[in-house]
Amino acid sequence: MKRNLFSLMSLLVLASMILAACGGGQTPTQAVTEEPAAPPTEAPATQAPTEPPAAYEGMKVEAPSCDYGGGMKSIEAVDEFTVKLTLCAPDPAVPAKVAFSSLGIQPSEYLESTGGSGDLLEKPIGTGPYKLEAWERGNQIVFTRNDAYWGEPAKTPTLVFRWGSESAQRLLELQNGAVDAIDNVGPDDFGTVEGDSSLKLMPRPALNVMYIGMTNTFAPFDNELVRQAFAQAIDRQRIVDNFYPAGSEVASHFTPCSIPNGCAGESWYDFNPEAAKALLAEAGYSASNPFPSVKLSYRNVVRGYLPDPVIVAQDIQAQLKENLGVTVEINEMESGAFLDAANSGALDGMHLLGWGADFPDVVNFLDAHFSAAAFNQFGTSFDDITDNLTKGGQLAAEADREPFYAAANDAIKKHVPMIPVAHGGSAIAYKAAVEGAHASPLSTEIFAVMGIPGQDTFVWMQNAEPISLYCADETDGESLRACEQVTEPLLSYQIGGTATETGGLAESFEANDDLTEWTFHLRQGVTFHDGSALDANDVVLSYVVQWDAAHPLHKGNTGAFEYWTYLFGAFLNAPQ
Amino acid sequence: MGQNLAKLNTETSLDSVSLWGITRKRLFRRKSAVMGMIILGMLILVALTAQWLAPYDPTKSMLDVPDYTGKIEKRLPPCVHAFGCPQSEPQHLMGLDGNIRDEFSRLLYGARISLVIGFATVSFSILIGTVLGALAGYFGGWVDNTIMRVMDVVLAFPSLLLAIAIVTVLGPGLINALIAIGIVSIPAYARVVRGSVLSVREMDYVSATRSLGGNTYEILFRRILPNALTPLIVQGTLGIASAILETAALSFLGLGAQHPTPEWGSMLGQERNQVFTAPHLVFYPGLAIMLTVLAFNLLGDGLRDALDPRLAHVS
Repeated sequence: MKRNLFSLMSLLVLASMILAACGGGQTPTQAVTEEPAAPPTEAPATQAPTEPPAAYEGMKVEAPSCDYGGGMKSIEAVDEFTVKLTLCAPDPAVPAKVAFSSLGIQPSEYLESTGGSGDLLEKPIGTGPYKLEAWERGNQIVFTRNDAYWGEPAKTPTLVFRWGSESAQRLLELQNGAVDAIDNVGPDDFGTVEGDSSLKLMPRPALNVMYIGMTNTFAPFDNELVRQAFAQAIDRQRIVDNFYPAGSEVASHFTPCSIPNGCAGESWYDFNPEAAKALLAEAGYSASNPFPSVKLSYRNVVRGYLPDPVIVAQDIQAQLKENLGVTVEINEMESGAFLDAANSGALDGMHLLGWGADFPDVVNFLDAHFSAAAFNQFGTSFDDITDNLTKGGQLAAEADREPFYAAANDAIKKHVPMIPVAHGGSAIAYKAAVEGAHASPLSTEIFAVMGIPGQDTFVWMQNAEPISLYCADETDGESLRACEQVTEPLLSYQIGGTATETGGLAESFEANDDLTEWTFHLRQGVTFHDGSALDANDVVLSYVVQWDAAHPLHKGNTGAFEYWTYLFGAFLNAPQ
Repeated sequence: MGQNLAKLNTETSLDSVSLWGITRKRLFRRKSAVMGMIILGMLILVALTAQWLAPYDPTKSMLDVPDYTGKIEKRLPPCVHAFGCPQSEPQHLMGLDGNIRDEFSRLLYGARISLVIGFATVSFSILIGTVLGALAGYFGGWVDNTIMRVMDVVLAFPSLLLAIAIVTVLGPGLINALIAIGIVSIPAYARVVRGSVLSVREMDYVSATRSLGGNTYEILFRRILPNALTPLIVQGTLGIASAILETAALSFLGLGAQHPTPEWGSMLGQERNQVFTAPHLVFYPGLAIMLTVLAFNLLGDGLRDALDPRLAHVS
């Protein structure tokens, strides 16, 4: 009898564990699927199709007013091959923004049939030179050539994406010949690749920044003097000289100097431990009131801006101990949890993070971090930074924008929401025989132009597996790069460069004089991988599902659609 | 029959000096166990004298060492004067690590951490495991069932995975890793103790104590436990080896010792990508872990053989 009771109990325990394990995974999905059922609380967008003289019904979505806080006023299919974007304020960066891969165009019928999630995450349908053949989760992604491509067809019939988080493993695979190119060569392996005649190293220009963020809502970093002291107590030159690969440089400003107006204003503080100690004393810390120990959080993930997180974190720890006598506790976190905590301003202490350019405009660096609409990653924002960013962002000519960005950079230097450390160089290693090899400063390598003569498969190995292939709702470069082979945005970036080029899905575009109305003329006769033809409604719907939070297809993978908010500010009908 | 047994018992007790005497004699006769003891002795010596043996501060970068004249380059290969390294360069027996620290100094301090971890976790789990096992074995019935089923549940998980889960809840850190490994190794000790208590509890001298009116505490802790300890010692010695190995694994994954603590597992984990470019940074910590675990395993095996009454005729 007793034995039975205990067997029953253990069974129950086991059953509840299984339930807990399965239930945990299920809940979010259910929550997401139920969301659209709730009626939008805000006044809904006018979604009335207009009636042009032709039989074509163009979609138009318009915000009732610009008071909702975002930058987009309306998105309209003027006719079958013309799309018009109307903005609330002048935005000279629109061409650079619409070339970004989160705005890839997918067929409107497909978006509707997938319901904005599900298949859409795994099987993107685009217009690109490659179409998705198979995604073997955890193993590889296989793409095949799109023979109906409107432009120059891909050089190699089959493209394979693989991944491995360890740089030693990637190099080994390349040396064995199992892969044709690897991303992010380990900083110590640059010499090995250069010394190997069967390989070639392509350095990627340092269009990124690594910084030490300090959340100003937690003590002791709520004190500006403390932040200024830390800014002068870290020898950034020593970090770059010793722990970064060739091609890296110390950050004089948050934005790299190769971006127009990136380096406006004063350069960053010089290394000066004596001044730093004096500032700490001024802030009230002394032998009787010692500085508390602080946390330094980071994720152990290699990016171009941070080639060796563990080592750099420990050097900062050692420097602060040596120069200020401050004890730093290193706190390594899981990548996703770290990003969530950083974005919500929940990290108590300092954190190591970086940013790689998505499009070559100073807005992409400064606004994403310091504007009023940005995440409170560094705690509360500063009015003298946000005001200048708002004003500068509305001007078209770089010369006119200069004073505002200079003022913004000076204010950043004064308030020290973070310490910019380095613009990190990274590199791709290719087999020497690869034709068309390039390294993009924006990390958007286009494999359609690459190939090894006589070889019908090209294997690329990157750091990590894409999270999903619906890049409207992804932010990491590993996912974006995979999407870029399949889906195309309206415009494109120069291959291996940063300039925005027409000759993508939009053959040409024009703007009105105050840069608030942008009209894009689509290429005719382009077909998607499923055979359907590209028209303006595909573009409108691809944009609107991201923009309109109340849209039934606004689901994606997590539903965050972060890049839309980076690019155009708030969502339409955003839940309060 | 009864008489014969009594006679036999008397004879045995006459030749035996003590259990420990016999064990020591048998132990020293085994070359492998002696080897284990020698390695262990050296490790303990290194751990105790690390601050005098280590040429540099294990957490200090050469960049921060005043008046350092040598070449400053991360992951510099070993420089040993006896093997032809120029005299002008300062000696680094095991080279420099990724943060330009002296690998040899870090390795020496690492011995201290590993041994402390080994003994601390095993003491923790022996303490709890023994109490649980003794209670289960002595009282039997529902007490036994409850305790041992819980132990079975813990035992059903792969120990490293369970330790990772516990550390995830508690948060990474050396102390938490220590607690996690302590918890996952409790069932092994509880089982061993329960087994011995079950057999010892039926012995005549226990019945004698009971009939003399000894209370539960006296019977359990003064009569039964001391006589059930032998298998525990063997299990404990072997357990230290696996505790050190598991801590190294947790630290390798970044869940154990936090930087810049010179823990072998985390030293290995930090430089795992440099297997080909700087093999010395992976080789030496790996070798150190291997030697330590080997020493405890050899000693544990030797102890088991020496303490096993079934092997009595061998001696």
